[in-house]
Amino acid sequence: MRKKFKVFGTVTAVLSLLLSSAFVATSSSSAADKKPSAINVFLIPSPSADAIKKLAPKWTAKTGIKVNFTEVEYGTAHQKALLSIQTGKGEQDVVQFDNTFLAAFANAKALTQLNSYTSASKEYDINDFTPALQQYGDFGGKKFGLMLSTEPFIQWYRSDIYKSLNLKPAKTWDQYKANAEAIQKSGKASGQLIGYGPASTWWWMQMVWSFGGKLYDSKFNPTVDTKEAIAATKFYKDLLKSAPKGALGFNGDDVTIQFVSTDIGQILQYSGYASGVFDPKMSKNAKNIAVTPAPAGKVNAIELAGWNIGIPSDSKNKTWAWDFLEYMLGKTNAPNFLNAGAAAIGRTSITTNKALVAKNPYLALLSLPASATVYTYPSLVTWPEFDKVSSDGLASILSGKVSVEAGLKKLNTALKAVLAKEPKP
Amino acid sequence: MRGARLASVGKSSRAPLAFSLPAWILIIPIFILPLGLGLYLSVFDKSLGFPQPINFVGLANFQSDVKNSNFYSAVKVTAQFMAIAVFIQIPIGIFLAMVLHSASKFASMFRSSLLIPMLLTPVAVALMWRFMFSSELGIINWVLDKMTLAQPDWLGSVTAAFFAVAIVDSWQSIPFVVLITLAGLAAMPVAPQEAAMIDGASTIQRIRYVTLPLLKPVLLVILLIRIIDSFKLFDIIFILTRGGPGTATQTLSMLDYNTAFTFLATSRAAAIGVVLALMSLPLYYLWKKVISVSS
Repeated sequence: MRKKFKVFGTVTAVLSLLLSSAFVATSSSSAADKKPSAINVFLIPSPSADAIKKLAPKWTAKTGIKVNFTEVEYGTAHQKALLSIQTGKGEQDVVQFDNTFLAAFANAKALTQLNSYTSASKEYDINDFTPALQQYGDFGGKKFGLMLSTEPFIQWYRSDIYKSLNLKPAKTWDQYKANAEAIQKSGKASGQLIGYGPASTWWWMQMVWSFGGKLYDSKFNPTVDTKEAIAATKFYKDLLKSAPKGALGFNGDDVTIQFVSTDIGQILQYSGYASGVFDPKMSKNAKNIAVTPAPAGKVNAIELAGWNIGIPSDSKNKTWAWDFLEYMLGKTNAPNFLNAGAAAIGRTSITTNKALVAKNPYLALLSLPASATVYTYPSLVTWPEFDKVSSDGLASILSGKVSVEAGLKKLNTALKAVLAKEPKP
Repeated sequence: MRGARLASVGKSSRAPLAFSLPAWILIIPIFILPLGLGLYLSVFDKSLGFPQPINFVGLANFQSDVKNSNFYSAVKVTAQFMAIAVFIQIPIGIFLAMVLHSASKFASMFRSSLLIPMLLTPVAVALMWRFMFSSELGIINWVLDKMTLAQPDWLGSVTAAFFAVAIVDSWQSIPFVVLITLAGLAAMPVAPQEAAMIDGASTIQRIRYVTLPLLKPVLLVILLIRIIDSFKLFDIIFILTRGGPGTATQTLSMLDYNTAFTFLATSRAAAIGVVLALMSLPLYYLWKKVISVSS
C-alpha cells in the first residue's frame, strides 16, 4: 500500500513538474514578455518618421532593444505593409500608415486592437486628447491606430498682404471668398489657393461638409448630387477664379510649395505642413505667414487628417512594440517629439503649453473646439478608390467639360459602383 | 553500334538543353512564375483590404475592367502615346540622323550632346520638366510670355498635359532614334549610294529607294523598341501628371499601378496586367519580322 502510495506520489510529482514546465513554456512562447534583441519598425518618409528615427536611440538605451527601420515611399508603402503582415511571419512590430488606409488595414485584420493598451497606460494618457481626437485611429468603434500627427485643415494667410489691404482673417467661407477677390483685385498676389489637382477630393469634401452635405448615406449610397453638394461644388469652382495659374495641376504638396515660394494671399491646408512653412530656409514668406481656423459654412466642419501608427497583428513582440510607441508618443516625450521635427500631435498638454505655443502659434488650432464638427477621412475600405474616382470626376467639372450638376450626377453613378464593393457592417 | 548511335543522338539532344539551362534558371523565376501568378490572381478576388480566404471568380475581373470607362480611356491614351512615338518621334529622329550624317561641321559635338537625355533617368527628367512647365515659376511660360505668346496651363489643362507628357517623352526618346539610325547609316555600304548618284538619282530618290530600304532592319528594331517603350510609359507620367488632369494622361500602366497600389485591388490589377500582356502579343510578330529581315 505504502509502495503504491509512493509510486502514485512520484507519478503525481513528475506530472506536476511536466505540467508546470509546460505552462512556463507556453507563457514564455506567447512571446508577449520575452525581451527581443531588436524590433522592426515600418515607416513612411515624413517629418514624424524622421523624429521617430532621431529619438529611437534613447529608447534603445533605456531598454537595450535595437530598433531596425524599414522605410518605404508612400506610393507603395501600404501595399507592401499589408503584404508583409498577411504573410504572418511577424516581419514588422510597428507600422506607420496613412489614416486613409485605416479601414483597409483594420478590415484585413492586419492590426492589433489597441484599446487595452491605451486604456491601461498612464504614460500614453488618452485623456490628454480631446474626445474628437481620442477616436482618431478607430475603426468600427475599436482603436487600431495611434495618432502620429494631428493635421486639421487650417487657414494660412499672408499677414503682410492682409495688413496692406486692411483685411481680417475670414471666419466664414463668404469672407474667405471676399478676401480672395480683394487680394486678386489688388494685383499684389493671387487671391487664394486650395487643391484642384490630383488631390482635389480633400478640399472638395471639406466644402461639401461645410455646406451641410454628405458624401454617402448610412446605407453606403453616394450623395454627392444633392443640393448641398451642388452648392458646395459651385462655390469650390468659383474660388478657382482667384487661384494662381496652373492650379488645376497642383497636387496636395504643391499647394504649400506655391504658397511659400510665390505670392498667394491665403490657402487652406493641413497643419502638418507647419514645420516647412515657418522654416525660412524653405519658405521665402516664413516671417509673413499667420494661421487661423478654417472658415465655417452652414456647418463648422473641420477636416482632420494625419498619420496613424499601430502594431501589426502578426507582430511577435507586441509588448515591446507597445513600449516603443508608449515611449515615443507618450505624454512625457511629446515636447521632445515635436522638437525633433515631427508634425505636432494635438495633446491638450501640448496645445496648452504656453512656451510651445509661443514658439509655434499654430499649435493652439490643434485643440479642435467642441463647437466644431470634426470629420476624418471616411472609414471606407474602398476609400482610396472613392478618392481617385472623385478627383477624376471633379477634374471634368473644374475644366468646364461638364456642368456642376451633370458632373456630380455622373460622379454619383460612378461612386455607386465603388461603394457597392464596400463590406457592409 | 545502333545503341551507340542512339546514345549519341540522346547526348546531342540534351546538349541544347544543358547550354540553355542557365538562361532558364533566370527566366523561370523572374518571368514565367510571376506571369503564372498574375494569371492565377486575375481569376480570384484577392484584395489586400479584405481578409483571406480569396475566392475563385472566373472572368469577373476582366468583365469589370471591360465595363470600366477608365479602362477604355487608358487604352486610348496608351494608343495615342504609341502613335506619337511611331509617327512623330521616329520620323523626326531619322530626319535628324540624316542631317547629322551628311553634316561634317559640329556633327560630333551634336552626337555627344544627344547622349545627355538618354543618360538621365526618366524620373529626374520628369522632375526637371515638371518645374519648367510650372505656370508661375517655369521657364517655358516665362519665354512664351516674353514672346507675347499664349501660356498654357501645361499640367492642369487636359490637352496641354497630354502634350507636356509627349514633349518630355520625345525629348528623351528622339536622341535614341537618332543615334541608332546614325549607327545604321555609318554601317551602310557606300557603293549603292554612289551607283544611284551616277544614275542621276536626286537626294529624295536616293533616300526613298536606297537609304531607307537598306536601313530597314535598323528601323524595324527602332520601331519595336519605341512601341514597347510607349506601351509601358509610366515614370514620366507618374511624376508629371499622375495620370491627370482627371484621366487625361492615364495610360494602362498607370491605371494598373493605381488599381494595385492605391486601391489595393490585387486581382483586378492582375487582370489589367494580363490584358496588357495580351495586347502586347502582336509585338512578337514584329520581333519575328525583325529577326527575319536582319538575317
